[in-house]
Formats: sequence, C-alpha cells, structure tokens
Amino acid sequence: MALFEIKNLTKNFGGLRAVDNLNLFINEGGILGLIGPNGAGKTTVFNLVNGFFSPDSGGILFKGENIEGSRPDVICKKGIGRVFQLVKPFGDMTVLDNVVVGVFSRVVSAKEAKKEARSVLDFVGLLKKKDILAGSLTIADRKRLELARALATEPKLLLLDELFAGLNPKETEEAVALVQKIRDMGVTIFVIEHVMQAVMTLSERIAVLHHGKKIAEGSPQEVAKDEDVIKAYLGGEYVFA
Amino acid sequence: MEIVMQAVISGLLMGAVYGLTALGLTLIFGIMKVINWAHGSFIMIGMFAGYWLWALTGIDPYLGLIIVVPFCFVLGYFVQDILIKPVFKSEVGVREPIGVLMLTAGLWIFLDNFALLLFGAFYRTARTSYTGLTYRIGEILVSAPRLYAFLITIGSAYILYVFLKKTKLGRAIRATGQDRDTASLMGIDIYHIYNISFGIAIAITGMVGALLVPFYYVHPSAGFVFDIRAFIIVVLGGLGSIPGAILGGLLIGLIESVGAQYMTATWTQGIIFGVFLAVLYIRPSGMFGFKQEW
Amino acid sequence: MKTRRNSDTDIRDFRSPKFYFPLVLVVVLFCIPLVLKDPSWLQFLILIMFYAYLTCSWNIIGGFAGQLSLGHAAYIGIGAYTSTALYLHFGLSPWLGMFVGGVFAALVAVTVGYPCFKLRGAYFALASIAFAEVIRVVTENTYHIGSIEIRGPRGLLLPPLGHSPLAFQFLNKAYYYYIILIMMLIALLVTYRISKTKLGYSLSAIRNSLEAAQSLGVNVARCRVTAAATSAFLTALGGTFYAQLILYIFPEGVMGIIFSCEIAFIAIIGGRGTVFGPILGALIYIPASELTRMYLGGGRLLGIHMVILGIIVMMVMLFQPAGVIKPLRRAYLSFSKRLEKQSQKA
Repeated sequence: MALFEIKNLTKNFGGLRAVDNLNLFINEGGILGLIGPNGAGKTTVFNLVNGFFSPDSGGILFKGENIEGSRPDVICKKGIGRVFQLVKPFGDMTVLDNVVVGVFSRVVSAKEAKKEARSVLDFVGLLKKKDILAGSLTIADRKRLELARALATEPKLLLLDELFAGLNPKETEEAVALVQKIRDMGVTIFVIEHVMQAVMTLSERIAVLHHGKKIAEGSPQEVAKDEDVIKAYLGGEYVFA
Repeated sequence: MEIVMQAVISGLLMGAVYGLTALGLTLIFGIMKVINWAHGSFIMIGMFAGYWLWALTGIDPYLGLIIVVPFCFVLGYFVQDILIKPVFKSEVGVREPIGVLMLTAGLWIFLDNFALLLFGAFYRTARTSYTGLTYRIGEILVSAPRLYAFLITIGSAYILYVFLKKTKLGRAIRATGQDRDTASLMGIDIYHIYNISFGIAIAITGMVGALLVPFYYVHPSAGFVFDIRAFIIVVLGGLGSIPGAILGGLLIGLIESVGAQYMTATWTQGIIFGVFLAVLYIRPSGMFGFKQEW
Repeated sequence: MKTRRNSDTDIRDFRSPKFYFPLVLVVVLFCIPLVLKDPSWLQFLILIMFYAYLTCSWNIIGGFAGQLSLGHAAYIGIGAYTSTALYLHFGLSPWLGMFVGGVFAALVAVTVGYPCFKLRGAYFALASIAFAEVIRVVTENTYHIGSIEIRGPRGLLLPPLGHSPLAFQFLNKAYYYYIILIMMLIALLVTYRISKTKLGYSLSAIRNSLEAAQSLGVNVARCRVTAAATSAFLTALGGTFYAQLILYIFPEGVMGIIFSCEIAFIAIIGGRGTVFGPILGALIYIPASELTRMYLGGGRLLGIHMVILGIIVMMVMLFQPAGVIKPLRRAYLSFSKRLEKQSQKA
C-alpha cells in the first residue's frame, strides 16, 4: 500500500475546474515530482493535501487514512509538512524561534524544543544564524528556514512547493543535496517545481498536470519525451511564462 | 404612513451626507490602503472652519465653502506629506502595516482634544437665514439646509466620479491605487499622488463638516459621532468603493431615521453597531468592496 | 537595524543582572509604602500600576496575538459591574465577585469577541470598537436585570464603608497599593510565562503568518480562544479593583472608548508584544497625564492629557515604532553585559 494516495480528486472554483479527477500515489521513501505549465493547478493540489481547501469530490489517503477536508494543523500532526512557494518566515522572531514553533507541534517543554530546534538548524546549515531575525535573511536562507521549520515537525511526507525558485546554480545544487539528505532520513517527498534541472535530478517519478488534469506520468526520461507534455509546455495557444 | 415617508425622506437626505463623509475615507483606503482614524477630526475641523468663518465674518456657510474646501485640501496635503508619508514609507514591505493606523489614531486623539482645549465643550450653532426654513412637498416637510446639503453632496460625488474617470490626474490616482509599483514605473510620482489624494479626501471631508453647520451643532466631539458612522458605511459599502459609500450612507441614514420612530436614539445606535458587526462577520468585503487579504 | 537578539542568557541565571535587577526593583516597590505615606502620591503610584496591569493584560491580545483591540474597556466594565451588582444585590464579597466577573468576561470574549478574531488589522480594531460600544449602549439602556439594579447611565454607587477588608474597601491607600502591586506582578508573570512557552510562540507565529503557523501544527482557534479568555479575565479583575478604588461606576467611565484607547496606546508607546513594554508605557503616559492634569489642569484645559497622549503616540510612530522599550532594552543589555564582564574579572 502506498504511503500517500490521491484518488479521483476534483476541485472547482466557481466555473473553473482547478483539479480534474486526479490520481497519484507515492510509495514510502520515494520522490514524486509534479510539473506543468503555470496555472495547471499544482499549488491547488498542495492546498488540498495540506488542508487549506476541501475537495469537491475524491479522496486523499495518507498511511491508509482519509485526510481530505481536515484542518491544516491536524494534517501536520499526522505527519505531512509543507514548504510554501512564497516563503512565509515569522519575520519578527529569530531563526531559532521560527523552528521552535515547528518543534512545539510534538514537544511540550520549551527547553527541549529549543534543543531540538538547534539540531534541525544544524542539519540545514543555519545554526550560526540562529539569533538573527528571520525577516532579515536572504532568500536562500529563508528557504532553508522554511525547510527547517517543516522538518522540525518530523513529517513522514514533505510537500515542497517550488523550493528552487529564485536560487542561483550553486544554491540550487546545495538545495538538491539537502533534499536528498532528507530523503535518506526516511522522509517521502512530493515536489512541485518549474526548475527542470532540479526536479529531473531529484524525482524518481514525475507527473505532469495541465488544466488540472494529469496528462503524463513516468520516469523523468519518459516524461521529457512525451508529446502531450511538449505540446502543453510549448504549444501555440498556451502562454508559457 | 406620512410619518414613515417623512422619516424616509429625512433619512435619505441625511444619508447622502453620511455617504459623503464615508467617501473621503473610502478614497484614502482605496488609493493608499490606509485607514484614517483621524477622519472624524477632519469633519470637525471643517465644521469649525465653516462656523468661525460665519461667526467672525458673517460669510454664509455655503459661500464659505469656497474658502473651507481649499483650506482643507492644503491641510490634508501637508498632513499626508509630513506625518503619514514617513511612517508609510518605513512600512512598505511590512505585512500588517499598523504604524500608519496608530499614527492617525494618535492624530485623532490629538486633534479632538486640542479642539476641546481651544474651543471648549460648548455646543454652538449657526443661525442663518435659512436654518429653520422648510419646504413643503405634499404632506412632507423638507428642511432647507438638509436639502441643500443633500444636493451639494450628490453634486460633489458626481464631480469626483467624473474627475477620477475622465481627467489625467484622476486616472493617475486610480492607477496608483490599483498597482503602486507599476504606476511608479510609468513615471507617476506616487507620493505626490498620495498627497493629492489625501488632500482631496480631506477637502471632501471638511466640506461635509461645513455643510453641517447650518443645521447641526458644532462641538469638538461631533466629528467622532460621524466618524463611527463613516467607518460603518465604508465597511458596509466596501472599502474603496465610491458608489458603495453613497449607498451605504443612504442605508444608514434610513435605518437611523426610521428606527428613531420606534425606539430611542441609543438603541438605534446599538443596532447600527450590531449590523456593523454582523457585516464584518459575514461579508467583510462589504457590498461592493475589494476582497481584502486582511 | 537590529537583526540579532540574544536568547542565550536566561532570566534564571542567578548571577546575571537580568535576575537580581528586577528582584531589587520588586523589593523596592514593596518597601515604598513603608516610607511614603502621602495618599496622593500613593494614589499616583496606584494609578501607574493599575494602567500597567490593564495594559499587560491587553498585551496578550494586542501584542502577542497581534490583534489591535480598541474595545478592551468592555471587559473592565463587565468586571466592575458584575462584582458591584452582585455585592449590592446579594451581598457577595467583591473578592469573590471579582472572579465571577472575570469568568463572565472570559465567556463574553470567547463567544462574542471570538468571531472578530478572524478579522485582521484595522477590521479587527473597528470590530472591537463596535463591540465595546454595543456593550456600553446596552448597559446604558439597562435599568434592571430581573431584580438586580443596573441603573443605566446613572451608574452604581458603592457605600463607603471605611476600613472593611471583606468588602474590599480600605481607608489606607497602602492596602490598594499592595493589592495592585501583586496583581501587576501576577499579570507580568502570566505574560512572561506565555511568552516563553508554546502558547506565546504559537501566537507570535499566527501573528506573522497564519497559514505557515497552521502548517506547522498550530491550532489557531484554540490559541486565540485561550489568549482572548485570559486577557479578558485579567482585565475584568482590574475592573473590580477600579470599582472598589473609586466606589462609583457608570458606563461611560468604565467602558468608554477613551479608556480602551488609553490602554492600547500605552502598550504601543512602550512596545507591544514585549513583556515589559506595557509597564514602560504606563510609566511614561500616566505621569505625563497626571502631572499635566495637576499643574495645567482645571476647567479651562480639560482634555490636555489626551492631547499629550496623542502627541506621544504620533512621536513614537514617527521615530520609534517598535516602542520605547527597544532602545531601552539595548541600553539595558549592554549595561548588564558590562556588569557581567566586570564581575567576571573580579
């Protein structure tokens, strides 16, 4: 049984069908990449998994349990963490305190929380900056912080929403290595990405979303050669930003 | 039946004035995304300006508008430039920019109490030649000054609307309100636009104050009473929406006037607050307003 | 711009000045009435601590949760009216009535005030004003609740009993001084504990980014309810104290918007969201207000203390929006660091 499954998931916004009868699965320890042109509905999928939206129909199964429609904080406690596309650091708190918030989802004592937060920061390479206010970090460090915060909740499944956007090549390399390190720790990863180099390197499997529908799925090589995918990205009527 | 009709007419007349007070507020919000807590104080300033002009020089309050309105424009322009702009600039990236909120709140406390200091807590009225004058339409009595205020209100709202839609400056203002960064890329000096917008908003607000002089009492706290209503109207009608402000004003005027027939003034006030809270719970963006992230 | 904050030295480090400084201060505060007997000076200090107490309680919502409440006086009124009405009608000691008022205020905060919590920024502020005004209007129009007298706008008068501890009345101001001192210390303790534990962190997170906080497992509703209830409860206790201090309450006086604004502004001047900011704010505003009232006051210059408040608020917003505590804290930290270095050398 797969760790994570999306079954016939559909979500409408007014007249727009943002997610159309989507079926996906990820096995434990795997990395699934979700790509597609802008507006394809990728972030909506994450919002549905994370609990910010409720689907109109279909189900989301995590560890065999239906989680669709649950509250985001409940879903976090069940073991799903999320990194946002537009990073949301807790600006007027220190880097350490940011991560402490994440640790508090499973720990009660403040002292212990701080200790654990320190080790998570060490893991992502931000320990030296633990006393800096999050609002004054660079974009790469903010992404690291988002990652650290999500990791602090000890997720079994990590949702990475465009983690690599805005990073220069060196930062991208470091980020890919970090994500692989996280996978090696036993965390299953679900990635949304536009930066092809990163998502092709990381993912074992890739699914392609277009107008809310899955139009291709397979290994990175298979998907890259798929005709529908090429048409979706480069086709005439679609503006690829 | 006539009583109700009478109440409706009075309510509509007053409501238009309320709408105008809300107009200044919604304009500032629509363009600058800033809530001006000192709004009521400016109504009060307009009131006193109009009153003292009349008391000291005998100039008719309506005629005096020619002086009061530009005066308020200049006042608004400089308040924005000197006080609000620095705080606003320092908060440009901040998620919940309450600095300007606090500043205008401080300004409100300052202005209202300063007026109290200067003018004392007396209730003054201006008795002009038409203060008690009423017109008769069928069975209904219409108070002349209220009618004039109504007409001037509708006229000004229309002029403002045309100004924003048709003139170059008006378009620049709307552009800045919609997308500040793009507007500045297009060569618009956004802070200058803010100064002007604030000036216009205060000019309108002050004008309302002056319009009230012939039939309303003049007192340092009078602004506050209108202020609360203005906020309620702006929320009802939707922040940033001009027609919303006028319609919201009419609605509030109606509730007040018709309500007064059946219950005490404080209860109608309570009801208005209750309606306000209900709207906030159910539909914070109001009837026409923008869907706010906050 | 300050980008670092030292979180390493803890207040529990006994040798650090961070610990014995406040301790010395507390001891001094306890000793003052032994030396100072003048009732008007005591009243002055009582007022400072009273506002500090109220503002600390407000700070849980206004500072930690980041929701600018301009209607907190509603809870003061609820506390004052509940304990007073219960005392006048049932003879219930205000000491007990105080807690009834607190619980009642907490309930109101959670049921009526709670839906407001979903609102942000200025919307919430507006709603809080409306909320307080509705409560005030209702109180002003209520003359009886059953057989309990409320007397609308005329308010309730407490019979002066002289020295009557069980009825929460004292002739000697020193008693009120100690009571409010203890209350203030409790409020400080509560806010300090909150800031160092999960609730405080969660509230800060919510304040910064609701979605991120939720995704990290923060139960937003529960945090807000807890914060609202705690804040309302503590504030209401202050209302009872106030009623027992001045022995006459009426709607405009205990629930008025001016009262609400004073509390909020004091916190902002001092530094909302910090534990000691409210105290600092009270230390700045109350003396300024009382002194102007004493020396410039009188019928002609009424309202001047509010003029001063307005000016202070504007100045703070223009020059030091995080509150006066920020530069003071910096000075304090560098001073205590210097002391530490010296004691290490010794």
